[in-house]
Amino acid sequence: MLKKTSIVAMACVLAGSMLFAGCGGGEKKAAPKAEGNKLIIYTSMKESLIKGIVTGFEKKNPGIKVDYQSAGAGKLMAKIAAERQSGKILADVIWTSEVPDFYKMKKEGILANYKSPVFKEIVNPFDDYDGSFHAARLGTLGIIINTDKVKTAPTQWSDLKKPEFKNGFAVANPALSGTAYMSIALLQKQFGPDFFKDLKANGARVGKGSGQVIDDTASGELSASLAVDYITNAKIAKGAHIKMCYPPEMLVVPSPVAIFKDSKQLDAAKKFVDYLLGPEAQQLVANQGTIPVREDVKIDPKFQLPSPKEALKKGIKVNYLEIIDSKEKTVKEFSDLMQVKK
Amino acid sequence: MANGTIKKDSGFGIAQVILFISIAILVIFVAWPVLLILFNAFFVEGNFNSMDFYKVLTEPETFQALINSLIIASMTTVGSTIVGTFFAWLVTRTDLPYKTFMKSLFLVPFMLPSFIGALAWKMLLSPHSGYINKWFMATFNTTEPLFDIYTYYGISCVEVMYLFPFVFIQVCGALERMDPTLEESARISGAGLFTITRKITIPLVLPSIMSGALLIMLYSMAHFGTVAVLGIEQGIYNIPTLIYEKIHESAGSFASIRTGTVLATVLIVSAACIIWAQQKVLSKGHYQIIGGKSFRPMELKLRGLRYPLLFFCLAYIGFTILLPTVVIFMVGGVETYGLPLTWENLSLDNYKYILFEYDVTRDAIFNSVTLGLAAAFITMFAGVMISYVIVKMKVRGKGILEFLGMLPFSVPGSVIALGVILAWSGQFGINIYNTVWIILVSYIARYMAFSLKANSAALEQVHDSLMEASRSCGASMWQSLKDIVIPLVRPGMISAFFLIFLPALRELTVSIMLYAPTTRTIGVAIYTLNEDGETVMSTALAGIALIIIVLGQMFINHLTKKASE
Repeated sequence: MLKKTSIVAMACVLAGSMLFAGCGGGEKKAAPKAEGNKLIIYTSMKESLIKGIVTGFEKKNPGIKVDYQSAGAGKLMAKIAAERQSGKILADVIWTSEVPDFYKMKKEGILANYKSPVFKEIVNPFDDYDGSFHAARLGTLGIIINTDKVKTAPTQWSDLKKPEFKNGFAVANPALSGTAYMSIALLQKQFGPDFFKDLKANGARVGKGSGQVIDDTASGELSASLAVDYITNAKIAKGAHIKMCYPPEMLVVPSPVAIFKDSKQLDAAKKFVDYLLGPEAQQLVANQGTIPVREDVKIDPKFQLPSPKEALKKGIKVNYLEIIDSKEKTVKEFSDLMQVKK
Repeated sequence: MANGTIKKDSGFGIAQVILFISIAILVIFVAWPVLLILFNAFFVEGNFNSMDFYKVLTEPETFQALINSLIIASMTTVGSTIVGTFFAWLVTRTDLPYKTFMKSLFLVPFMLPSFIGALAWKMLLSPHSGYINKWFMATFNTTEPLFDIYTYYGISCVEVMYLFPFVFIQVCGALERMDPTLEESARISGAGLFTITRKITIPLVLPSIMSGALLIMLYSMAHFGTVAVLGIEQGIYNIPTLIYEKIHESAGSFASIRTGTVLATVLIVSAACIIWAQQKVLSKGHYQIIGGKSFRPMELKLRGLRYPLLFFCLAYIGFTILLPTVVIFMVGGVETYGLPLTWENLSLDNYKYILFEYDVTRDAIFNSVTLGLAAAFITMFAGVMISYVIVKMKVRGKGILEFLGMLPFSVPGSVIALGVILAWSGQFGINIYNTVWIILVSYIARYMAFSLKANSAALEQVHDSLMEASRSCGASMWQSLKDIVIPLVRPGMISAFFLIFLPALRELTVSIMLYAPTTRTIGVAIYTLNEDGETVMSTALAGIALIIIVLGQMFINHLTKKASE
């Protein structure tokens, strides 16, 4: 009997204290978990790419533990904005493909200035480099086709207006995906605002995230989509019936990496950036089927990717400063055009 | 009254303290977040502004979400009511073979979380790549799919499949409890079966049908998962999915939070109306069903239809439960989405990866289990205390608690999530946003209703005289509580624990709005993996989640069987 009563009493006390721990003490308990001595990275790179790099980094720096959150750039920026409002950015390092975001953060003064010693070894796509962020990858986007459904591979962007792609082409949602937003901005710059109107007339639509459009293409739900190189290559390696096609006007989107000024892990963060730009991590980048920022790294020819310098030459040029302010407008116009909310 | 006088002698305060704590719990966890939502919806910069509320509400986007919620909820309600009532009638009032077995079979859909079901149906019936549609198009050589799941009909059908047990349970209960003498006397007086059904049976079970239907309406209006999986891409938003999008994609700016609060207010108001209507319907039907006598109700002879109907029931279960489950497990085993489901493409690699290598999913399983246990534990005890005050104690100020106790029943999950964000993200000194605690707080608020229901039902069966006897023999209040009341209500507490633990394991609506890098739950992990295009990984995790849920359910069944022996 005594045992029972003591259990009940204990449980009551526990329940009571938990209730208040949930309110007051929770913050204290949770805070060290978030800060600790862990380096936190927010990135839009998928598991297949980021995992290997983080593992390699941890192996080289046994004292540093790394936590990363992999999600679409739009979601991450929303998260960071919310965290700023509540007083503290959880992340130490951010690595996405939404270049304008980095210019914006630089303007707002929340990025640490760090001129990496490795910088001189890399191919730099930013003319106005000042140490706020470094390009850590040159992502490319192309048209992927479902090889069961589309027999002739498209060679030009304008091929998407052909009946073969009627009601079967999608672009990832630019509000979620940074690469999707960048490619829309690039394509509109190159081919004028009517480009997507014509695609819409051919039944093109907005998909979800940048990964989902690829899975939808692989399954045959879509005939083709605008897709990111390494995600596509990972699925091809697993046997998906898709093929990557690059029209001559290439979409090359640098993925910058930056450190937050208020990071408590500045040293670890700097080490990570150095590692990321170094030959080991860049080889991992190249192995996934996307373009590294180093010329001394080998890219498997099966990916049909150009060298970093060549990619910069082939890519559609854009002035990033010009497109920062128009981002929201571009996203909204695009969504209004392509996605009719029922 | 004797109770009250004794209380005065044996020390002032305990009753008041309990009452105070009970009120405090409900206010902190439920009432305050809801109040913050209402406040933010109607007050702009501190001034009351209902025009602005109206303006937000009539923006095309919000208004459309509202209409969509209504359309989907109405279709789901009608569908579930028909399906649920029909099957309930079949297993209680006919001579269908293997009735008891069939009855338990119809409760299985409860176990399958509807967003996992939605995921499965997406794979089966998406217009160009769904397995059924592909088969149909190949067999009949057409380019038109058999059925497009990405429509209002598709979403509603999926919801019906997994929600109809709400009606089924209610109607089964009513039909079983109904006094058969009423029908018998009608028959003796010469009425035919049709007349009896029309004039006696239907009026008697109508309140139960209505109440089950309203429950589904409430659930469906505030339901996130199915619409998120099947609707968003096609531009079909309902209220919770729009709130989710607003919160996640507009960087938590005030305008988006406001739209969220306005939408949440609409949910609160409709929930209140639905709960009110349900009470009204139930109180009307209450006295008509006289329970107790265990006559066997008159059974309709199905004759030649017995086996065809049995086959129909089995086919229905096979189609809505077995088929999706099999698809989940098979697609979870495919290397990459889109490969045909043949033996050489299947392996256990994805499951291995998810269980042993992938941090996100391992974290998610750990988070869901610990969150579920913690929430169930806390809510169970809080629920006992609060229901004790409501059911048993006679103290001044109880009315407030009774009113507050109604709140958890009528606040939908997405409303709680939004309210919790408003209340706990720093504006009031405490910031637990982005931690696992904010999810725990919201789970407590979300599942308080379950605990209150189970515990007050158990407490109502404990007669006051037991407590009075113990008190008159000189036991203190605490002593009689722990020696008399707690042991008697323990089954209620245990059932409350599991009523919370199992749904919390697969929770999505609340946690999707509150998760941070390391605080994903199973539901969130499945959903985000699917959204990120890791379709096979998300289905593999869904398969693992199903195994956990089924094992948990079996464990509970085992426990409750033991407890009832």
